[in-house]
Amino acid sequence: MGDIILAGSTSGSITVAPPAVAGSGTLTLPTGTDTLVGLAATQTLTNKTLTSPTITGATITVASTANPAFSAYGNAQSITNGSWTKINYENEEFDTNSNFASSRFTPTVAGYYQVSSGLYFGFTSGANVAAVYKNGAEFKRGSMNSGGTGGTGCAVSALISCNGSSDYLEIYVYQSSGSTQSSGGSSAIQWFSGAMVRSA
Amino acid sequence: MTLYEKIKTLYPSLEEQAFMTTIRLQNDSDGKGDYIEKWEHTLPRPTDKELA
Repeated sequence: MGDIILAGSTSGSITVAPPAVAGSGTLTLPTGTDTLVGLAATQTLTNKTLTSPTITGATITVASTANPAFSAYGNAQSITNGSWTKINYENEEFDTNSNFASSRFTPTVAGYYQVSSGLYFGFTSGANVAAVYKNGAEFKRGSMNSGGTGGTGCAVSALISCNGSSDYLEIYVYQSSGSTQSSGGSSAIQWFSGAMVRSA
Repeated sequence: MTLYEKIKTLYPSLEEQAFMTTIRLQNDSDGKGDYIEKWEHTLPRPTDKELA
């Protein structure tokens, strides 16, 4: 048997043609109601698992919800001597998945997140250090720096696993200059940013 | 007087390092001010009356 021609319900027809090669094979049709995938057709595939695919010359567009990323900076803030103080970030530069609010990053996609923060102080004597807080408790602490000519600053960076629901990250800073200090307050010197680097 | 200053007045010999390890004073920037988040020092935790 050669081609099979199926007439359309209203007009036209579709031809099912075997390849022009020697040998034989079996084409198994899926059960249930579905549509076959075509090589050239523009189609949206759902519920597919690709094992060891080779993708050549493709432009891959990742949905903004897939890899949350954010960057924010704060206004000048008073930091009391000797007390770990939460840093406020009132200004967002970007927040791709709307996961940053109230100076807190709460990613809604489970995965591993690289977060970083930097802050500048003008004091010249004493020390300062920054830490990433996870769920309200210190989780990763940066290196402590001492004040000197031109002021000082602190930074912290860490790779942190977040569950995509309740986990949240904040930045706290400690300074021991001997008196209350004002933080720098600008996009360059009081910032907090992060992005997912791998899904869970 | 800040909470840190009150504690230092109460315990003048308390080293600065203690505030980075066994004692944690914290401010959540929520308008409620500084508070003792952790006290694991061998010195007794100050009472509210002592810090008033």
